[in-house]
Amino acid sequence: MAFEALFKPIQIGTQTIRNRVVSTAHAEVYATDGGMTTERYVRYYEEKAKGGCGLCICGGSSVVSIDSPHNWWSSVNLATDRIIPHFQNLADAVHKHGGKILIQITHMGRRSRWDGFDWPSLVSPSGIREPVHRATCKTIEEEEIWRIIGDFVQAARRAKAGGLDGVELSAVHQHLIDQFWSPRVNKRTDKWGKTFEDRMRFGLEVVKAVRAEVGIDFIVGLRICGDEFHPDGLSHDDMKQIAAYYDATGMVDYFGVVGSGCDTHNSLANVIPNMSYPPEPFLHLAAGIKAVVSVPVIHAQNIKDPNQAQRILEAGYVDLVGMTRAQIADPHIVNKIKLGQIDQIKQCVGANYCIDRQYQGLDVLCIQNAATSREYKGLPHIIAKSTGSRRKVVVVGGGPAGMEAARVAAERGHAVTLYEASPALGGQITIASKAPQRDQIAGITRWFQLELARLNVEVCLGVRADEGVLDMRPDIVIVATGGTPFLSQVPEWGAEDGLVVSTWDILNGVVAPGKNVLVYDTICEFPGVSAADFLSEKGAQVEIVTDDIKPGAAVGGTSFPTYYRSLYAKEVIMTSDLMLQKVYREGDKLVAVLENEYTGVQEERVVDQVVVENGVRPDEALYYALKPRSLNKGQIDLEALFEIRPQPCLSTLSGSGSDFLLFRLGDCNAPRNTHAAIYDALRLCKDF
Amino acid sequence: MLEIILPILIFTALVLAIIGAARRVRLWRQGRPSDVGFFSGLTAVPRRYLVDLHCVVERDKYISRTHVATAGGFAVAAPVAIAVHGLGLGSAWLTWPLLAATLCMFVGSLFVALRRRNPPARLSKGPWMRLPKSLVAFSLGVFVVTLPAAGVVPAAIGGWVLAVLLAAVVAWGLAEMFLGMTWGGPMKHAFAGVLHLAFHRRPERFGGGRSTGLKALDLADPQAPLGAGKPADFTWNQLLGFDACVQCGRCEAVCPAFAAGQPLNPKKLIQDMVVGLAGGSDAGYHGSPHPGKPVGEHHGALDEPIIVREGKALVSAETLWSCTTCRACVEECPMMIEHVDAIVDMRRHITLELGVTPRRGVEVIENLIATDNPNGFAPDSRMHWAADLNLPLMADVRDAAVLLWIGDGAFDQRNQRTLRALVRILRAADVDFAVLGNDERDSGDLARRLGDEATFQSLARRNIATLSQYGFGCILTCDPHSLHVLKNEYPELGGSYQVYHHSTYIAELLAEGRMEISPWKGDKVTYHDPCYLGRYNGEYDAPRNVLKALGMELVEMQRSGSRSRCCGGGGGAAIIDIPGKRRIPDMRMDDIRETGVSVVAVGCPQCTAMLEGVVEPRPEVRDIAELVADCLVPSAQKDQSGRKDNAGQPSPAVEILADA
Repeated sequence: MAFEALFKPIQIGTQTIRNRVVSTAHAEVYATDGGMTTERYVRYYEEKAKGGCGLCICGGSSVVSIDSPHNWWSSVNLATDRIIPHFQNLADAVHKHGGKILIQITHMGRRSRWDGFDWPSLVSPSGIREPVHRATCKTIEEEEIWRIIGDFVQAARRAKAGGLDGVELSAVHQHLIDQFWSPRVNKRTDKWGKTFEDRMRFGLEVVKAVRAEVGIDFIVGLRICGDEFHPDGLSHDDMKQIAAYYDATGMVDYFGVVGSGCDTHNSLANVIPNMSYPPEPFLHLAAGIKAVVSVPVIHAQNIKDPNQAQRILEAGYVDLVGMTRAQIADPHIVNKIKLGQIDQIKQCVGANYCIDRQYQGLDVLCIQNAATSREYKGLPHIIAKSTGSRRKVVVVGGGPAGMEAARVAAERGHAVTLYEASPALGGQITIASKAPQRDQIAGITRWFQLELARLNVEVCLGVRADEGVLDMRPDIVIVATGGTPFLSQVPEWGAEDGLVVSTWDILNGVVAPGKNVLVYDTICEFPGVSAADFLSEKGAQVEIVTDDIKPGAAVGGTSFPTYYRSLYAKEVIMTSDLMLQKVYREGDKLVAVLENEYTGVQEERVVDQVVVENGVRPDEALYYALKPRSLNKGQIDLEALFEIRPQPCLSTLSGSGSDFLLFRLGDCNAPRNTHAAIYDALRLCKDF
Repeated sequence: MLEIILPILIFTALVLAIIGAARRVRLWRQGRPSDVGFFSGLTAVPRRYLVDLHCVVERDKYISRTHVATAGGFAVAAPVAIAVHGLGLGSAWLTWPLLAATLCMFVGSLFVALRRRNPPARLSKGPWMRLPKSLVAFSLGVFVVTLPAAGVVPAAIGGWVLAVLLAAVVAWGLAEMFLGMTWGGPMKHAFAGVLHLAFHRRPERFGGGRSTGLKALDLADPQAPLGAGKPADFTWNQLLGFDACVQCGRCEAVCPAFAAGQPLNPKKLIQDMVVGLAGGSDAGYHGSPHPGKPVGEHHGALDEPIIVREGKALVSAETLWSCTTCRACVEECPMMIEHVDAIVDMRRHITLELGVTPRRGVEVIENLIATDNPNGFAPDSRMHWAADLNLPLMADVRDAAVLLWIGDGAFDQRNQRTLRALVRILRAADVDFAVLGNDERDSGDLARRLGDEATFQSLARRNIATLSQYGFGCILTCDPHSLHVLKNEYPELGGSYQVYHHSTYIAELLAEGRMEISPWKGDKVTYHDPCYLGRYNGEYDAPRNVLKALGMELVEMQRSGSRSRCCGGGGGAAIIDIPGKRRIPDMRMDDIRETGVSVVAVGCPQCTAMLEGVVEPRPEVRDIAELVADCLVPSAQKDQSGRKDNAGQPSPAVEILADA
């Protein structure tokens, strides 16, 4: 049997988990109505259970107390009995598919924000400020400690009353329990901080009180860190000591282990390793914990592949694998493994679009799977075949919008032809994958390639389609032709004279890297820092300049640190607040004139290459050529699109090939991002 | 002159025939004893011949009618000719019927001759090409010599030249018909065939019965050989059965291994046994060989080893391991010969006496011994597939209406989907069922067919002991191999149960209206009959009824029902995997493709595995349970987890992984 280790059930506490795949706790940012697990939340977890997930641990950082605000990240609020019926819905949805579900409960202590909602004073063992959230806090008082322990008990009671299978106490990510543990934060000299036992006391009291409340038939787990990676923080040996200490109580049913603390931007990036990390970078820390405890150990962090998961489990490093982002990308991954449809798994590429949205308080979404967490809206992970007539669909452009449109139309059972001007599918994803440590993003394209082949989509590469596509008498034409780098916006840059080049040209290797290069990045998304990283990797001396607050400002919280590590290590100079005014040639050198945003003072750089990142200008030519002849004049009915309903114009189509509908998707419409392109393509085409 | 010559010829032929018969009987008697009724068998012959055997022969109308004319004519003509021309009785009551019978036989002979003008490949040539001429010689010869006796022509007509000529023709006919019958010509089939019908080792097969279970070896008897290592190790009536072979090659035409170019031709195998019985080489064989094995290099004798080990003997081991035990040959054989019994007997010798089970067979047997399952999975992982289903265990409930027999498909991810679908159906229909869980063991099917009777009996006895602890109305399984063994092979070891294949059971549930079904919306489907459900257990209708009840339009393959072609997965053949020119499942998939369907319904884990192993694109392979589960109306579905306190309604088609 393939993947035998994955499908071996395991006991946690008194419960049987059907397989070894876990969706570990993550903040979903889906709770509404004051932190309730409403329909979106329920359907999101139901999809995972339906897809075969053994154990869902929902509600990363769900709060137990009112002074640990739930609002900022729309997390689950266990500080009220109102949650109980919502939990019942959630539990039923998961149980009916054979899954089990726990919720992570916590008090975040200082790791939150105070400047909103009830304006709480955040609490922490020693009142030391938390840098990532810029959160100042008060030193917690003994009465507050006992109140919060009582809040944990009430929260656990609510989880149990709601039919969930257990709770996971968060002692990770520098929440209140591990704030007490860590000497970096806990400087107390009283019985809550002086000795090892004192630092352990708060967590121990929580465990004891919660266990006393819920009894033995309810799972109580503890999620801990494997090593805080701070010289003054908890080391791996400290964590082994702590884990063994709690294990000895016999009251903890499992340990979840996360490598790395996260109270700085840089350590935060470790917690959810992006594509620059190797597979399972912190497995050794979890294995170290497993060596000292007697109950099952769960470990997540960059486990995305069935073979990898099988290897980890087979070798016995840990007992269960968290494949959390893997299931955000494909909630049916477990079923697909079982069905032997490994090639059909939409594998997480570590783009971290999900987590980077979450850190901004935005709902978690997948860069490549627009159906994830939109199940409640009726967006399907598995697209049903159309019962209507088989249409001829022509898609022009093989970037994310075009690939998704072609895939979805083909899943609907239509005859689909896709034209791509370049010799490969992928569009801007292909360009993005050329940067150092960004190659895995090409996984998005790889999946589409496999799916388009499986669905018998006719893919014509290296063909720049024109109005001639109408000769095929299509019923529907999708224009997804993307765009080109927008270098012409400022004529003084001299793009026409070749004084500046685009990040695309650099990454694609169309233009060889110069020796001394200025990268001007006014967008501050991935292409600018990627180009700077690429150039410096090739040996160029690089300065990246932006008029924004810092280079890569729009790159998410778990990805800018890995860029910075790379850029600083290669001595790339990062400069902010300067606008590129003009570029001119002087001898064999280029002079870039930069002006300070705030003072107006100009300065010059003498370089031999200027690379400009100024976003994308839509390529609209084919669209406008086809528009007048189309039945719907290229228009998308926005109400229908937003409500995930069929486009009304579909019913006007004759079906004889004498008329056609025209839609435009992705950057050729307006430059947005990969998710936007895929989302539009899915919601538009799913009713073709 | 003929009045002198003919009696001499006839009685000489008769005496020689009787000597030949005695010799032949002595050869058969070299086989081991067999417990069959002597007189009851003999008295049953007419019915067995005229009804049971004729039913099989009748499938080929041309040869059936030809045979009625020829054999019927001969059966009348022979005794009457002895009376008229041997004993000189000249009554018109005898001569005219003799004329009629020989004329009838003559007409039949012409059709035999016609068939032999361009005979299909499956027919043996050699002496068989001579047979129509011999039949003509006999019928025409006797006809002509009877004309004077009947008074149609003057007695003295023609003179001595004609008399000698006629005598020669009659002599030829007599030699073929009387001597050939017992000395080993094509007509041997008549003599041996009649006795074979009388002393058939499976008398249950006559009168519409069915007998397909292998017969147990008596492992307690230290004298009994373990299987058949030399021809004399077969029972005497098995040897007799081999001799009944008419070399029509119907077995060859339906054998999947032969069609796949594996070195097995069932007809040749039976003829090999005949060679072993009579002693000599196979050089006199004039039919299709075992593919890839030249004719003329094999020899044997009653007490010589059958299986080629070093150098040459009678049969190569690969020939025996090519058999899928699909029983297509047995089903088609007009002489009702039991090829599969013989093959398993010889495999038993290979495995139990020689200990040279080839390739992965050894590993599988060792696994069965150590882990009670063929692939060596941890025995306590048998129920991992159902970790989230909360299936009631027999050990807990002690009593249930239905005992759901899981089978080794429990370890197979593909079959787990079928099992989960079946559980869903049972829950939708509110069936009171329970499982043995980790106490279940492999049924022993595979061990037995790999020749390891000892492991089979060990598994069977332990399963029987387990089953004896609980109360249940019937056993239900989605595995026809388990079905067959539990139903047909356990009784001999003391375990008798009512066993249902899931298609039969589901058909009953549907007929009783126990589940709400929403009609199938997909394309046409075809159904592949598993050998162990169809030919072994005669269940052809229930699966089709289930599919029709789902509202499916069923397209039948050319080879379907009792003539279904094996998937290649049975009898351990897929494990030993003897190379051929094609793979059997590929051929079967071609049969399926011919129907133009997009879904083929199956009812056997082996068939599913084999057919899904065919390279795509190909029709989708779905178990009947999965198709039924797909059509369950959501409101009729019960909670997948089996919890009673759950009001949630699962969405269709997800629990069994059927949707991905």
